[in-house]
Amino acid sequence: MNNPIEHSYMLTNRRQFFGRASTGIGVAALASMLHADEPKGNSKALPGLPHFAPKAKRVIYLLQSGAPSQVDLFDYKPSLEKLHLQELPAEIRSGQRLTGMTAGQAKFPLVKSPFKFQQHGESGMWLSELLPHLGGVADDLCLINSMHTEAINHDPAITFFQSGHQQPGRPSLGSWLSYGLGSETDNLPSFVVMLTRNSFNQAQPIYDRLWGSGFLPSQFQGVKLRSQGDPVLYLNDPAKLDARTRRNLLDSISKLNAKREQEVGDPEINTRIAQYEMAYRMQMSVPELANIKDEPESTFNLYGESAKDPGSHAYNCLMARRMAERGVRFIQVFHRGWDHHSNCEGNLPTLTKQTDQGSAALIADLKQRDMLKDTLVIWGGEFGRTVFAQGNPARFGRDHHPRCFSIWMAGGGIQGGLTYGKTDNYCYNVAENDVHVHDFHATILHLMGIDHERLTHRFQGRDYRLTDVHGNVVDGILA
Amino acid sequence: MQRIILLIKILAVAGIICTTGLSKAQESSVTFNKDIRSLLSNKCFTCHGPDTNKREAGLRLDVRDAAVARLDSGQHAITPGNIATSELWVRITSDDEFTRMPPAEHGDALTESEKELLKQWILSGAEYQTHWSFVTPTRPSLPAVQRSNWPENAIDYFVLAGLEKNELTPTSRAKKETLVRRLAFDLTGLPPTLDEIDDFLADEAPDAYQRLVESYLADPSYGENLASSWLDLARYADTNGYQYDTERQHWVWRDWVINAYNQNKPFDEFTIEQIAGDLLPNATPQQVLATGFNRNHGITIEGGVIGEEYRTEYVMDRLITTSSVWMGLTVGCARCHDHKYDPISQKEFYQLYAFFNLVPERGQSGFQPQMQVTSPLAETRLASLAGRINDLEAALPAARKDLSGLEKWAQTIKKNGSTWRIQTPVSAKSSGGTTITPQDDHSLLVSGVNPQKDIYTIESETRQTAITAIRLECLTHPSLPGGGPGRHTNSNFVLTGIELKATSTADPSQSHVVKFSEARADYNQANWHVSAALDPNKATGWAVDGPTRKEPATAIFITEKPFGFEGGTKLSLTLRHEASFGTHGIGRPRISITTSPTRAIAFKGLDAAIVDAATIPATQRTAEQAKLLADYYTSNYGPAKSIETEIVRLRQLQSQGFPPTMIMKDQPGIRKTHILNRGQYNEPTTEVSTGTPGALPPMPGESENSRLGFARWLTSSGHPLTARVTVNRYWQTFFGNGLVKTSEDFGNQGELPSHPELLDYLAVELQQSDWDIKHLHRLIVTSATYQQSSSVGRSKYLRDPENRLLARGPRMRLTAEQVRDNALAVSGLLLNTVGGPSVYPYQPKGIWLELNNRPGYSKAYPQGTGEQLYRRSLYTFWKRTVPSPMMKTLDAPERELCTLKRSLTNTPLQSLLLLNGIQFVEAARQMATQVLAQPLDSDQQRMEFAFRLTTGRSPDELESNILLDALRQQNETFKNDSEAINNLLSVGDYPVDTTLNQTQLASWTAFCRILLNLDETITKG
Repeated sequence: MNNPIEHSYMLTNRRQFFGRASTGIGVAALASMLHADEPKGNSKALPGLPHFAPKAKRVIYLLQSGAPSQVDLFDYKPSLEKLHLQELPAEIRSGQRLTGMTAGQAKFPLVKSPFKFQQHGESGMWLSELLPHLGGVADDLCLINSMHTEAINHDPAITFFQSGHQQPGRPSLGSWLSYGLGSETDNLPSFVVMLTRNSFNQAQPIYDRLWGSGFLPSQFQGVKLRSQGDPVLYLNDPAKLDARTRRNLLDSISKLNAKREQEVGDPEINTRIAQYEMAYRMQMSVPELANIKDEPESTFNLYGESAKDPGSHAYNCLMARRMAERGVRFIQVFHRGWDHHSNCEGNLPTLTKQTDQGSAALIADLKQRDMLKDTLVIWGGEFGRTVFAQGNPARFGRDHHPRCFSIWMAGGGIQGGLTYGKTDNYCYNVAENDVHVHDFHATILHLMGIDHERLTHRFQGRDYRLTDVHGNVVDGILA
Repeated sequence: MQRIILLIKILAVAGIICTTGLSKAQESSVTFNKDIRSLLSNKCFTCHGPDTNKREAGLRLDVRDAAVARLDSGQHAITPGNIATSELWVRITSDDEFTRMPPAEHGDALTESEKELLKQWILSGAEYQTHWSFVTPTRPSLPAVQRSNWPENAIDYFVLAGLEKNELTPTSRAKKETLVRRLAFDLTGLPPTLDEIDDFLADEAPDAYQRLVESYLADPSYGENLASSWLDLARYADTNGYQYDTERQHWVWRDWVINAYNQNKPFDEFTIEQIAGDLLPNATPQQVLATGFNRNHGITIEGGVIGEEYRTEYVMDRLITTSSVWMGLTVGCARCHDHKYDPISQKEFYQLYAFFNLVPERGQSGFQPQMQVTSPLAETRLASLAGRINDLEAALPAARKDLSGLEKWAQTIKKNGSTWRIQTPVSAKSSGGTTITPQDDHSLLVSGVNPQKDIYTIESETRQTAITAIRLECLTHPSLPGGGPGRHTNSNFVLTGIELKATSTADPSQSHVVKFSEARADYNQANWHVSAALDPNKATGWAVDGPTRKEPATAIFITEKPFGFEGGTKLSLTLRHEASFGTHGIGRPRISITTSPTRAIAFKGLDAAIVDAATIPATQRTAEQAKLLADYYTSNYGPAKSIETEIVRLRQLQSQGFPPTMIMKDQPGIRKTHILNRGQYNEPTTEVSTGTPGALPPMPGESENSRLGFARWLTSSGHPLTARVTVNRYWQTFFGNGLVKTSEDFGNQGELPSHPELLDYLAVELQQSDWDIKHLHRLIVTSATYQQSSSVGRSKYLRDPENRLLARGPRMRLTAEQVRDNALAVSGLLLNTVGGPSVYPYQPKGIWLELNNRPGYSKAYPQGTGEQLYRRSLYTFWKRTVPSPMMKTLDAPERELCTLKRSLTNTPLQSLLLLNGIQFVEAARQMATQVLAQPLDSDQQRMEFAFRLTTGRSPDELESNILLDALRQQNETFKNDSEAINNLLSVGDYPVDTTLNQTQLASWTAFCRILLNLDETITKG
């Protein structure tokens, strides 16, 4: 309950409903509320956090599940012109383990990208022709071409990106941030997840654990904001009672709970009263958040017409901006469909068409609202794709590739117009400035004002952290 | 070790004669286990502990001999009795940041009081003690207490001694109605019935409470309640986890757990059978079934995985789960290196691992070995099924005559909706000589020879004109391969072409081919979309993932323009199966036509004749139409329908065999076990054989060198951990926290027990009672400690918020399962039958498919109907990647891993669930129905009845006033608002009692929603 305006609103409200009671409980109960401990769950940061002044107040992470091809989108490789259809040299592969899908392949012919690359912005950042909108904000981007990871399959890889560990059970990045930094808003959850409606029929499934809280208390898990049914589960009254009736019900519940607290003394009861109040506020704040009718036409010029379609990537990007404005700390959008084991040439343009405009618009929009400076935006998948062909080179697909891939970051504390890290001529191994997933996590926490080695939680006798015992902040990409 | 045990015995004896003053004096001296161990463990062991690979400067501080030895530097870390020559002291007190320990990058410096403790300890001789939990417990004597009339049993002496030491007094006994409710939830997971409460209140015999305890211990719900928490430990789920999270059938094992608890299987047998029942001499099928415990881990089916990587994870999971559950040890920390804090080396980890490493299994899709075993609950279950079917059948004749809802239903039928007329085939031929047999439902069942290619020609007639589309339903049938829709052995079909010819019956010379403009299907296999059936290409067509999806599929073909001759039309439909895949015919087609406008056409739709009858006033219907409508209504919508559906389902359950359950099995010699470098599956180093950690007592000499020997070792009398860990976890379920708060860690980093003697007393008691779990539970709930009131007022509450000293009774929110079961029980909806397959209660639409909509690997949540919606929550289908949101919101874990203690949070999402979840709104309505059905005279009486249902007690005057106010408010709201009434009462599937005054029912429903949301309702107080 950080917000004094909100606080006084609540008190007035309580005064009203306790005052209305014909029972004499009003004054006593109010006194109890005033002296009650603050609710445990929602808002407080851990003592000592942030560790230092943050560069970013919030994160918007556009996760591209399935793994987009760095070869065709980001990592410009003129060297592949000559190498096209040649066999990948064994010393370059150097024993890299392959997935069960290409392990049986006799040949590994290199295939260059069929898409053209061009330079953008003052920085001259190379990007694929499939990303025309992103080109428009190139000078705000930091493109990291030297990411690498350990996992070679989707489930462990995406679990690693989300939680710093390949096997299930650890808290997700967003839940660590909520746990460490608390909430900036009392009207919305501090960690919200949105899923783009999936249309690619080979898309990888995703799972609750990706925004789960692992061994952290479960209130820190991500809350799904859905594009079908209730935007937040159980938000709406299925009986469609009007707001006044709902308020009456709530007041009766709170009066009885407050009365009970007086006798028992369990502070948990006061917390429950406060949570019912927040639930009531969410019944107003969430529909207000989701009501994009108040957006001017210019918004849809920027994000594209599909931003009017709930469940589209552009819509979720727009919602991400609206949540950022309302104090949500960690916003994650999951977009599926990048797992192109065949026909990269046909499939990639479909996916970039779904994602390019919205992603770029989000950057531009945050910038025009002067929010990019303290909002960290991230775009990327769970690993990269092989430079060699999976299947017939004429209709080539690309298999999973952990050794190098690209993601981009922008905003809060990140240097714009920077292409960071290099891969070798084959786009197979990192050649310079490697960034491991643990480093990526350490850097995000750093930007949020957290020393990744000091945000820990003791579980089963061990002080766990997001970065395990690894991770270095990537100084080279900081503004 | 012997010496230490003796020492503890002496101390225990001394404890009896110690006065309070003396024990205080004793307390001030510094001891290793109490003061020093956790300090060294936290601050020093990372670099100077058991891990040989990370040991700095050759110094280890976890063993006295090493800590006092001369170091390479010539110094001594600890010189007992002398701080000046103890380098440890010099280093921790150094002003120089480069010599000071611990180094800044390893966390916070020592506080002054911590330094003082170390100083006192070194000065007094730096004596070490074995870590408390590694010493075999002995039965301590009861401590002396002042308030000697308070204790009811041994537990209370230990608790009271603690209270008196802290100058606290116990809280008085809870009120009887509080006690019965607390006891009912703790033992059965359900609220007491009002009769149970009344009986107990009226029972003034001295043993009234004891008898109540016995009746709950004997209730079959007891086993369900205990099983519920065991499933968290066992990471039980109904799906395989990982990426695709496909379904598994493992519930027969769950039945085993329920039954074991209800039979009060001694905990040592419970342990041995679950870990190694397969290895017992002459193992019974039930003992083998028990080993399903260690097959509850996730199993991946992801295409690209390397099998050995995942098989390794499964073995790790078994070892880590088993060690956590029975020993409270975090052995997993020694997977990659020697344990940092506890005496478990990496080698010892892999020696334990070897016990679990002989299962003949694979990493990818490793669902073997399995065994088909009958549920131990089968007999009771079959009897209860038969009883329920009898009851339902008896109710059926009356229900069939009940047409009271017909007109209301008829009004909901829209003229312009999607309607279909099922065609009765006049003839049906196969080009390949297969047998086509018309069925009562006008479908055609195909059987007999199964040619490579087959063309069916089906003829039928209609009098309709302006036909806009035809529908082809491909139904399933038990006689078809796999019970699916197609004739191929994998249940698939491929429809490569479809043609329709229309001929006038009045003038057969008028005839034309009907062209289709569009085809759509409710299910298309990837790359086999139904539109391909319209093109002439024989290589393409419509298929439906028969191998993975044994369900019906429906296609609709929309005509370019409406057709149909005045005076009747003969339809000749040709279905071609000419793909290169042979024997892919449709198994049971059924043809319908429609005249609905194209935009209204849907896959499902009413029979057009029904619509015709329903949309004219009752008085104008012909007798034929009235009968048609009545028949349709009773068999599809009326009260008889739900009874019939339920009977069919129950009969299916009756006839169902038990699915094979995954079990453990050893195949000696199948593989060797190696230490894995960094825990990586592909980096084996030294070979090891089975063994237990050296810091624990050895396996008894005669034991089998196998999982069975390991299981027997766990429950051997000298094992210091199993009984303590078990007792502690049960204590946790009653009191919220264990006596050791870190119930998941009994190692060096775990917390010390709040009442060490009590823990040991109970551990020994459990062992010496032949591991009698009900005896342990009886002991706990009959203690004065347990029976204290939890209502103590704020200041006392805040003095000990977590109730570690136990100066009051337990008070905590019910578990997720209990919150929902409570709502079902107080509303009379709960169907309390024990055991069986998992069920699918209410869930908001789309939750499964929004995460995974990959054809062949995904499906929509198949929400249940009828009584499936009202079973106890432990039977709720548990999908690991998307657990039931009702359970998840209330802190249930995902069960991807063993969970030893759930969070207990208090969130707005929980409020929303209880306020708005259909399950809870419906429960409120049925609770109101019950209230109104009581022979009560006034709202005051009804209000008290309802309040007692959810809280177990009567409201006081203030509460009565608030509640009556609320009721008046709701009466005002619903008076004259039929829409609001209908909106509220129509939530949920359970039929509304239409004999009640609906305004009154709505007001009381709203009122009961208040009650179901009270803190007190969802709290065990």
